Amino acid sequence: MQERYAYYPGCLASLSQKELDSSTRAIAQKLDIELVEMPSVTCCGAGDIHEAKPDYYLHISARILGQAEQMGCETILTICNVCTLNLRQANKALQEDPALLNRINDNLKEVGAATYQGGVDVRHLLWEVSEGNGYEAFKGIAVKSLEGLKVAPFYGCQILRPSKILGFENPDSPQSLERLISACGAEPIDYPAKVKCCGFPIVLAREDVALGELVQPLEQAVEAGADVIVTPCPLCHLSLDAWQRKAADFAGKELGIPILHLAQLLGAAAGIEESELKFKRHVTRLSPEVKAKLQMPSVIGTEA
Amino acid sequence: MTEIKNAHFTTLQGAYDTELMEATLRIRRWDPDTQRARFDTFTVTVPVTASVLDALDAIKDTRDGTLAYRKSCRMAVCGSCGMRIDGGAALACKTPMKKFVDAGHTITVSPMGNLPVIKDLVVDMAPFWEKIRAVKPYLDTRDEDVPDTEWRVAPEHHDMIHKESLCILCGCCVSECNSMESDPDFLGPAALAKAYRFVGDARDTDTRERLRDLNGAHGIWDCTRCYFCNQRCPKGVDPRDAIAKLGAESFKEGFVRDEGARHAKVFVDSTYKGGYLRETELVPKTIGPVNAVKDIPFALQLARAGKVPNPLSPHKAKDNDEVKRLWKLLEKEAKGAERPRALHPDAVREG
Amino acid sequence: MIRHDVIVLGAGCAGMRAAIEAKRRGVDVAVISKLHPTRSHSGAAEGGINAALGNATEDSSDSHAFDTIKGSDYLGDQDAIEVFAQEAPNDIYELEHMGAIFTRAADGKLAQRPFGAAGAPRTVYSADITGHVLIHVLYEQLVKHDVKVYEEFFATQVVVDEGRCAGVIAWDTKKGGLHAIEANHVILATGGVGRMYYGTTNAFACTGDGMSLAWRAGVPLKDMEFLQFHPTTLKSNGVLITEGCRGEGGYLRNKDGDRFMVGDAPNAMELASRDVVSRAEWKEIADGRGVDGCVLLDLTHLGWKKIKSRLPGSRELAIDYAGVDPIETPIPVRPGAHYMMGGVDCDLWGETIVPGLWAAGEVACVSIHGANRLGGNSLMETIVFGRRAGQAAAERVLEQGDTGARIEPGVLADEDRRIAGILNNDQGERPGVLREELAKTMYDKAGVYRTEAALAECREKVVDLRERAKTLKLDDHGSVFNTDLTNALELISLLECADCLVTSALARKESRGAHSRLDHTERDDETWLKHTLNWCDDGEVRLDYRPVTITKHQPLARSY
Repeated sequence: MQERYAYYPGCLASLSQKELDSSTRAIAQKLDIELVEMPSVTCCGAGDIHEAKPDYYLHISARILGQAEQMGCETILTICNVCTLNLRQANKALQEDPALLNRINDNLKEVGAATYQGGVDVRHLLWEVSEGNGYEAFKGIAVKSLEGLKVAPFYGCQILRPSKILGFENPDSPQSLERLISACGAEPIDYPAKVKCCGFPIVLAREDVALGELVQPLEQAVEAGADVIVTPCPLCHLSLDAWQRKAADFAGKELGIPILHLAQLLGAAAGIEESELKFKRHVTRLSPEVKAKLQMPSVIGTEA
Repeated sequence: MTEIKNAHFTTLQGAYDTELMEATLRIRRWDPDTQRARFDTFTVTVPVTASVLDALDAIKDTRDGTLAYRKSCRMAVCGSCGMRIDGGAALACKTPMKKFVDAGHTITVSPMGNLPVIKDLVVDMAPFWEKIRAVKPYLDTRDEDVPDTEWRVAPEHHDMIHKESLCILCGCCVSECNSMESDPDFLGPAALAKAYRFVGDARDTDTRERLRDLNGAHGIWDCTRCYFCNQRCPKGVDPRDAIAKLGAESFKEGFVRDEGARHAKVFVDSTYKGGYLRETELVPKTIGPVNAVKDIPFALQLARAGKVPNPLSPHKAKDNDEVKRLWKLLEKEAKGAERPRALHPDAVREG
Repeated sequence: MIRHDVIVLGAGCAGMRAAIEAKRRGVDVAVISKLHPTRSHSGAAEGGINAALGNATEDSSDSHAFDTIKGSDYLGDQDAIEVFAQEAPNDIYELEHMGAIFTRAADGKLAQRPFGAAGAPRTVYSADITGHVLIHVLYEQLVKHDVKVYEEFFATQVVVDEGRCAGVIAWDTKKGGLHAIEANHVILATGGVGRMYYGTTNAFACTGDGMSLAWRAGVPLKDMEFLQFHPTTLKSNGVLITEGCRGEGGYLRNKDGDRFMVGDAPNAMELASRDVVSRAEWKEIADGRGVDGCVLLDLTHLGWKKIKSRLPGSRELAIDYAGVDPIETPIPVRPGAHYMMGGVDCDLWGETIVPGLWAAGEVACVSIHGANRLGGNSLMETIVFGRRAGQAAAERVLEQGDTGARIEPGVLADEDRRIAGILNNDQGERPGVLREELAKTMYDKAGVYRTEAALAECREKVVDLRERAKTLKLDDHGSVFNTDLTNALELISLLECADCLVTSALARKESRGAHSRLDHTERDDETWLKHTLNWCDDGEVRLDYRPVTITKHQPLARSY
């Protein structure tokens, strides 16, 4: 974990998933991390621009990386799986192919944008606080033990695979979320679908197919007795949370399991308040029992 | 009898010397007669260089000859021995046993997923072959103009389809495909990678028709981007990347009507307009205004939680004019770019 | 009763090329294969396919023919070799038109690289996965032409009815049960028999089934003593490291770091003919100058760029199966049984002495390769002679129509009883035990260097194993996917082929090509410039001989 990062929250965290941004800022403050704003970035493009306009994707990624570099930051901090894979994938291509980087820089220069020299790394908050000094730092601020809370980790595809681009942990048996859940004093719940896909990339274009995927982690986590699911990706969060009702109808059974952003779980353990964690922005509400286990005092707008 | 010079040459001493180890495997059996599954655990003595396949052979030869699995080349080129090892598909011949033995770990071996099981570790590959056949998996050139010698293809053009050409049709990608698990009719990573092998082949002339078919139901846009295929492929084919390339080719050729393509276009347009994703446009532009209206109850749910951003004042990035200029520059470049084409040797001679 | 005009048995490069040709000519052709076509061992070929295109340097089919004839140690039939070399270039172009992805030179033409014992660089290649590329392009054409395939059907008998081939009886591996599939013509394309040997590059499936089927059906096997050992195979599992590694400049070193090839082939060095290199290596190891039973294939001076672009497959194999990265460390290698120059006796259209029965590819012995095969010629042989057999059989169908040969019900019933006898037997020894005994005995006593005494001991063991193989204990008596049964049937084929090999080797008292006798070290053209024939006399091997066809090139001393 470093003292200073270029902060790239991504589009959802800035808009519909604003609670992720506020929780992240609160946690960063407690960890004494400086988040440097990046006012001129674009959306990372998700898998969509990478697919539809691959050359444009490389250019906008180089521009984002270049801006971080020019701000004197060695590392971009992300809080979304898709941003992480996208920026890291572009970064790898740019770092490994000087001819490609030169061509892209020439174009960026021509339009007056920041160019990139290849000196930036992209890391997700999950990686920064689940090992090394970051983990120690988090344990240091985790003043509230969430004992009794059963948390099912849902990784989300693009923080694990492909491992030759992400490479933080074994994609078949990751442990970073479990480590953090335990550090919060809570109990990690294991279940097979924790490394599978939530279906978000096709939840609009192919809703039925996506729901067939989405029901698996939801059903399995509920059956395994979890109180909540935690995920490091706001897109997975949107699927699991906002589409949960549709998933329940698809499965023909009740689900009703609240979904936490990673930063919210960490925030609860660090004693950060609802005003910043913003659980009320969830579609699937947190019950009073869950709130209690999260050591959150009962506040306005928290009816089940 | 006269002594033969160098008679000791006939036999290489120590040709079979090897260190041995004990390996334990837990195997999912499927009995086609009783239609029942069970797990059998075996421990066998194998060389330290043994693969999972070698261990299966040792079991079949010395412990239980009824164990059924496919194998042939044992060098990761024929694609026969795909199976799940600890829940994820891999080639048995390419998976060394030693690391498991050293860790004291008993592996669980089971058949590949997303395909019917015939017996034990043998799956019915017929649905797999059908999907390969469905993408017209053979070259289509200008048949009336076939040269006497070879088509001239620039090395960098063949490089474009290098990864896809490595595919050995083993099925490991299909086994773990999350989209196919939810929709068994999805063409799937192997067939789509094979499709790109032809779309990207500089000699093929059927690009538009191929893309038209691939842009239909259960095609390119059904991929859920779980990246299991890239992760499991034993040959580095990267099927997901091939699917993305098909998406790019679709955009180039103007096949943008599918919901998946429209979804992608919103992202592209958003960066141009203001840098950030215009979330409120995503639903109506992807699934169309009629379907969006049908989904209003769902949208209201999101609205109640405050998840619908103000469509009238979208989040704008600073200096986004750079992005507009960049976009225009790249579009101009792309218009000028020619599709890679193989050359007829006569054209080369004349030119 | 199922009936086709032409059955092709085997779906590797030769089989698929034959089937495509026959289908194109409008006859009803079906392929029977014990494996799905793309699983066939042709796909493991690495280094390349030869044709005198003249893309890299000046070249001619005469030169290609001469190199092949000399490489064969003058046992190859020169009329067939001339046709082979002449037709090869067009066959390559046709493969390219079908869609084969070959490595290209900067000008977009097919690249060609040097290979063992070739006078000019004429090996067309695809990095080091040429076989993979060819098997896939042919499978694609099989799909394009909608050729019917009886997939995972194991042939147990080639039926001869009143002297004519009548078709094939095959066991359906997926569901169980024997099927009689009649045909006017059967083209055998079942590949080689490397699994006779412990150290072999061959897949598990290479068990000489087609050779045995032909032998039992009355076709003699020819030149079975000539089994090529490939110089660079891995000790752990016999996997092939392509000759292309030497073609790109790799060296062979002994334990002292010396390039020992200078002794046996001062000009060609590592790119001498395979038999020469294998002998040099085997001698080096047997004489105590090896490293852990191997010599070292050193690629470290080639640089990572060349290795990653030209030899990526070999690198992966070395890492996976020898635990070394060839960019940094030499690969330990030793000779392994690789290719059977001998096989089913046939002419240059693939026709055997049994009307209606044909052969092409490694299963056949035309003879193109004589006593030793050049690298890159085997893939070319599958295409040229697969095409020719397909063409000839199709033309015969169009000329003659129904041959009248039939598989009588009694024949099927007898075969049913025979197979049931094996299937239901639970006494005796497990097939795996006998297979291992055969393989080790052959590697120890009928390997690169042979003597009368060793071969005699070997033959005794083979005869003993053939007897013991009459009672094989099966664990699996079921119908569905019973590979215990198919393993047993394969073992029987291996033993029959081994008997032919060892009997022929014992009789040939000279050294020629891959057959190297320590007690008869010279080539003896006066007595031995002839092909060995093995007839099946009621299950026993009967020897016979036939002259070699010589056209332009009288035998000369062979050195590299």
